[in-house]
Amino acid sequence: MSARIAAFAAVCTAVALLGAGYVGLAALRSAGPSVSARAARSPAIIGGTAQLGQELGRPHLVFLQPSGGDPTQNELAVAPLAGPSPRRTLSGLHCSRLYVDAGHGICVGQNAAGVGHLLDAELRPVTTFLQPGLASRARISPNGHWAAATVFVSGHSYAVVGFSTQTLLYDTSTGAATNLESFTVTRDGHAFQSPDFNFWGVTFANGARFYATLGTGGHTYLVEGDLARHTAEVLRDGVECPSVSPDGTRIIYKARVPGTVGQWRLHVLDLRTMSDSALGETRSVDDQAEWLDSRTVLYGLNDQGPPATLDVNLWALPVDGGPPTLYLQHAASPAVARGAP
Amino acid sequence: MYTQIREGLAAAGGWRHRTGRQTVQVSRNVVYLGLTSFFTDISAEMVSTVLPIYLLFTLRVATFQLGLVDGLYQGATALVQVVAGGIADRGRHKEVAVVGYALSGLGKLGLLAAGGALGPVVGIVLADRAGKGIRTAPRDALISLSSEPDHLGASFGVHRALDTAGALLGPLVAFGLLALVPGRFDTVFVVSACFAALGLATLVVLVQGRAAPKEKRTHLSSKVALALLTRPRFLVLVLAGGGLGLVTISDAFVYLSLQRRLGFDARFVPLLYVVTSFAYLALAMPVGRLADRWRRDGVLVAGYVLLVLVYVALLAPGLGAALLIAVLLTFGAYYACTDGVMSALASAVLPEALRTTGLALLQTVVALSRLVASALFGALWTLGGLHATTEVFLAGLLIALPVATLGLARTAL
Repeated sequence: MSARIAAFAAVCTAVALLGAGYVGLAALRSAGPSVSARAARSPAIIGGTAQLGQELGRPHLVFLQPSGGDPTQNELAVAPLAGPSPRRTLSGLHCSRLYVDAGHGICVGQNAAGVGHLLDAELRPVTTFLQPGLASRARISPNGHWAAATVFVSGHSYAVVGFSTQTLLYDTSTGAATNLESFTVTRDGHAFQSPDFNFWGVTFANGARFYATLGTGGHTYLVEGDLARHTAEVLRDGVECPSVSPDGTRIIYKARVPGTVGQWRLHVLDLRTMSDSALGETRSVDDQAEWLDSRTVLYGLNDQGPPATLDVNLWALPVDGGPPTLYLQHAASPAVARGAP
Repeated sequence: MYTQIREGLAAAGGWRHRTGRQTVQVSRNVVYLGLTSFFTDISAEMVSTVLPIYLLFTLRVATFQLGLVDGLYQGATALVQVVAGGIADRGRHKEVAVVGYALSGLGKLGLLAAGGALGPVVGIVLADRAGKGIRTAPRDALISLSSEPDHLGASFGVHRALDTAGALLGPLVAFGLLALVPGRFDTVFVVSACFAALGLATLVVLVQGRAAPKEKRTHLSSKVALALLTRPRFLVLVLAGGGLGLVTISDAFVYLSLQRRLGFDARFVPLLYVVTSFAYLALAMPVGRLADRWRRDGVLVAGYVLLVLVYVALLAPGLGAALLIAVLLTFGAYYACTDGVMSALASAVLPEALRTTGLALLQTVVALSRLVASALFGALWTLGGLHATTEVFLAGLLIALPVATLGLARTAL
């Protein structure tokens, strides 16, 4: 038996050295070249609080500069809205997903533990929250009262591999969170409930109205909700990650391409007539689009190279038809700030 | 926990569990089997914690459907499990268990090689399930064959405590690694493979196999398995396991119900799992020992009475934070009274030559009935709401439990 124990100890030592060596190397490598590589990719970066303040004073785009790997290392950045400019200012704050509107901001997934922040008009964290999971979507209501964040949470079970999403609404003045799953849902006038309800991709209209996707039983429903009454009503099937236009009449969303896994096309839905049409982007888009103006939307697409990388670029697409154009390289999670609120 | 094991090993006699005036001896082999599960569960839980995030991040695919596929697949592994049980009973418990553990361990390295391609990843997940199906019954058979018949409950208690400790540590290790080297999922897979290797090494080097009993050689495993059902006591156990399984609300639904009832944030749901697991961990050994000293079927029935209390609490008005903790501890105690004790009960009535086959049969029936129960609970919830569904399950449990108790009493040894 002592020979067996010696053999076991030898195996343990070898395995422990192997594992520790691999993790050690990975730690060294991840600490090494990433900073210089980022600087090399973006020569036009200017930093500093004064610079940031100046940029925020005029119409601008707030976005995340992708880290090219770890989403929690994406850095909050600001660029002028007018004209194609390579200039960008980095804030030093890291998020997996970001949104700003009406002098408020939300930064989801600052680290792997799920720490996030509500931001003030200067993009400084004012309230910190914890929402564990992989950050997916973020939005702020046009009146600045509400923030929404969706994360993917994994089922914690030995036997089940699967996802669920968690969408929380935050009161930007208090930081108090409300789970969208606590809302009363109706379909065709009848109460609608199921344990497999998943909400994602909130978009806020004016007042108390919002839209979101409700996933259940293989369907992805567009729901219209009321923040004051805590209710939501199913409008239509096959709508994911809606983004409502500033005038509240149209929705840009991603529609699953039939017969594929993980392929989506951008569509526009007119909420008054419920007429629906595909947009002029033929590549698969997995993003919640952002309205640049009443005729154009922005969205992120993985850099398809060649060679394809984990970098993300922003594309602009006319909603009345027409091909997409490259809007801003090395940017994701766009939020358009048109002017002083 | 780990230092206690070390002390136990240093005592050179295996695990000494001292309570009051008596010292219960658990064999060294059982402790080694417990350590095998401890390492393997760290490995498995590390991966199952990060796999969905990894899939989403590298594939940009939300695999909502994978859970369903997984459920269907569990049914398909039932046959594999019983066949593997038949082979194990020919004196190859350890070899069959090694195959099962190795299959899951290799999958961790496979994930590294698959690089996020969906097909291979699904294949690896399914191979992992097959590995778990193959190894569980031979491992439980080895535990029982390495134990004094009077100490079966304590032995399974030690094993389940180590198993649960591993399951609790796994996610912590995974999150710790991702905090250390953000975004490097490969380190999680490599370290998980290392823990799997430790588990496999414990099994191969330290655990001693059992020779086949000479007098009885089994041939046709499916026929032999069915013949086992002519033994009244075993038949009652299978029927009780299956019947009670049909009215058992799965963990996920219990936690979800508590979350809905109390209205706390879903982000705290993993904490419920932690509290329950700690109760299970702490109680597995003492309850196993109680089962040995008093009666095992009595402890099993008591466990389901605790489950009745949990259901009642799910339905009762005015559930508060203090009561929530009590419910979770009760739920953990229910696991301690039923999981290992069921295996101990079956081991006591199954002949040595057919022990793995019998355990595989029982575990398969229980697993399938729970799968049906989960599907049923989900469907009823959609139709009639959470409260009514819980009432249906409570009513079912109140019917099944007395029947099972009567059956167990009638066939008491």
